[in-house]
Amino acid sequence: MSDNTDKRSNIIEGINDLFWIWKDEFKKVFRDSGVMIFFFLVPFGYPLLYSFIYNNEVVRDAKMIVVDKSDSFMSREFIRRVNASPDVKVVAVTGDMAEAKKMLDEKKAYGILLFPEQFSKDIHRGKQTTVSLYCDMGSLLNYKAFLVTATEVSLDMGKEWVLHSSPVSTSELERIKVNPIPYDSVALFNAQNGFASFLVPAILILIIQQTLLLGVGMLGGTARERNRFHCLVPINKHFQGTLRIVLGKGLTYLIVYSVVCLWVIVIVPKIFSFPQVGDPMDIYLFFLPFLLACIFLAMTLSGFMTTREQPMIVLVFTSVILVFISGISWPESAIPPFWKALGYLFPSTPGVQGFVRMNSSGAELSQVAPEFRLLWFQCGIYFISACLIYRYQIIRSHQLIRKQYRFMKARMATIAQKKAE
Amino acid sequence: MTFQETLLCTWRVMKREVKRITSRPIYLFGMIGAPLICLIFFISLMRSGLPYELPIAVVDMDNSADSRSLIRQLDVFEQTQVYIKTQSFQEAREAIQKGEVYGIFYIPEGFASKVTSGRRPKISFYTNASYLIAASLLFRDMKTISVLAGGAVGLKTGQAKGYTDKQIMAQVQPIVIDTHPLGNPNINYSVYLNNTILPGILQLMIFIMTVFSIGSELKYATSREWVKTGGNSFTASLVGKLFPHTVIFFFVGMLIISILYGYNAFPLQSGWGPMMLDMLLLILAAQCCGILMISTLPTLRLGLSFACLFGMVSFSIVGFSFPTPAMDPMLQSLALLFPLRHYYLIYVDQALNGRAMFYSMGEYLWLVGFFILPVIMGRHLKAAMLYFKYIP
Repeated sequence: MSDNTDKRSNIIEGINDLFWIWKDEFKKVFRDSGVMIFFFLVPFGYPLLYSFIYNNEVVRDAKMIVVDKSDSFMSREFIRRVNASPDVKVVAVTGDMAEAKKMLDEKKAYGILLFPEQFSKDIHRGKQTTVSLYCDMGSLLNYKAFLVTATEVSLDMGKEWVLHSSPVSTSELERIKVNPIPYDSVALFNAQNGFASFLVPAILILIIQQTLLLGVGMLGGTARERNRFHCLVPINKHFQGTLRIVLGKGLTYLIVYSVVCLWVIVIVPKIFSFPQVGDPMDIYLFFLPFLLACIFLAMTLSGFMTTREQPMIVLVFTSVILVFISGISWPESAIPPFWKALGYLFPSTPGVQGFVRMNSSGAELSQVAPEFRLLWFQCGIYFISACLIYRYQIIRSHQLIRKQYRFMKARMATIAQKKAE
Repeated sequence: MTFQETLLCTWRVMKREVKRITSRPIYLFGMIGAPLICLIFFISLMRSGLPYELPIAVVDMDNSADSRSLIRQLDVFEQTQVYIKTQSFQEAREAIQKGEVYGIFYIPEGFASKVTSGRRPKISFYTNASYLIAASLLFRDMKTISVLAGGAVGLKTGQAKGYTDKQIMAQVQPIVIDTHPLGNPNINYSVYLNNTILPGILQLMIFIMTVFSIGSELKYATSREWVKTGGNSFTASLVGKLFPHTVIFFFVGMLIISILYGYNAFPLQSGWGPMMLDMLLLILAAQCCGILMISTLPTLRLGLSFACLFGMVSFSIVGFSFPTPAMDPMLQSLALLFPLRHYYLIYVDQALNGRAMFYSMGEYLWLVGFFILPVIMGRHLKAAMLYFKYIP
């Protein structure tokens, strides 16, 4: 009977402590300007900045020079059509390749389209003719704009020429002749192949994870710096149990980041009208394990941070690696197994995959089940590791206190002895 | 103080700094460990240059000899792998949403019979543009096979009419575009990305470590002792402190360059000299930016936050992925404030295109221009070092 009441009062005390720690951690978060930068300034400002940088989505009017040695009706028509396309702008037409190269060197343009002398003659003779495209490869998007536009124009003009040179009787026969198997292509979920719609969703997820790791790591480092024994756990009657510390602190971060997530995944995509076709309820459900996994990972890592600034040196550069490991830019199927395995350690990997597929491609929760399960699994593992870290820290701080106590006692005894002598 | 005395003081500060660097593992991690991890990661990730065998789903509603042959031809492409063959578009769409495939190739019912009877069946293909690189590579392959399918019909008709192959090709495709991607003929993504990402990481770590080494002196109130070691000369103290960093970063930078252009044999048209100079100037310019950061925000954590945020933004604003000229005009001028932007422009000129030095002079001068920063901000930092009371 007495054992039972003991347990009950223990649990009640634990819950009280949990809320005490929760409140205490809240105060720490809001008093620390360094943590505020990572918990609020970065998650609120960075998505805006990145969206602003990539806001134009696609390259328009990529600058091109034309070297027209043919100077014929056909080549001029070709140039006119290239210039009329939205993606390419012809800045100059010359007859001299050396001059065009010089303009490329001077960065007045990024590509050269060369019509050979016999361009028009070849076509009229019924021979296949070639137009050469030279491109500065400093940026792939310019190259893509040039290539797509030039190819489209060449196919269109080719078809028209075939009909012009060997006409057929009906328009249906015309179509069969130049285009026996038509095709159309659809860019799903990001219709204009935009850069922002592709990269920013992944960046949003990474911002959430990395700022949590940095902020919590900073809190951990600060706690240790301020502590007499450089321990993570303060000497305080409320910090007696592992569970109450981990849950109390975790609750603080969860509440702060619920607000942050609202901004990052609901409001920012609305402002910049990124593709959003997923069911919001599904996405919120998906975010629960993601946030918890990030929080417990952050608390685990914070156990290794001995100073306030250490997290920034150790963690910031990993963001670049994590973008690529998440499989959004470099396709997942092309990532070497070792790095793939490493990626599974971070909540951002399944987080980015799941979020992008739900938010951009309209997948349901059941279709991201593997990612969802992995996140819960990470959540469990990191919860246990966070508990172990804090357990170890509690024991360590107790040991240090006892050691200090014994040391002081011994000193007092010697002083007393000396006085007595 | 005579020049010799200044040198002596600088030497003393240098010795002090080397001791500090070697006594704390965090220095060596930040200066050597982190760049090396990234070097190994990115080089091994993109070893193949391009992602191969990207999975797609084929919806074959026809299931004829012709449609199967078309699918086989598509599968032969290096970058495309037919992962699912199905007769239900629903299934293929779900495969995209599950992330199993990046594209769908759709062959309509009665494809073969319609082709032979001239009823123009329509091929459709879909790419998941949320994955931009995979989508554009698959788009290329699927478009090629669609054009070829149409061409094959023209070829057969032409052969039946007794034309020569040359005559037929002039009918099927009168104008051909012959592409020359200058300097990177295979459109190797490793060339395209790593040439800027790796120096970008080095720049980030230089910002961080420069701020960290000066900021810790302020934080732990050792800055007076530091200046005293430097014979109360601000210049001697600063140069002595950062020169060992320069040497270490220079070695790391040279390692990156030798892996890129030596081991991987990436295009290096103008030879080693211009890129080595580029790297050296990037390192010095980044160190100067670091000094600016800690001078404007002379507390360790704020200075470091500045360094981290600035360093991370540079990857996007430099414009190697999304070109800077396509950004907002305000961002275009902002990009000039990032040393990496100038490094990247020099790389495009010198390594990729092998242009005459003359065309890169302006960018080299920009990098040198960053050296003014410590001179301008010096007073600020000096005040912080000597009189500032650190608020943690």
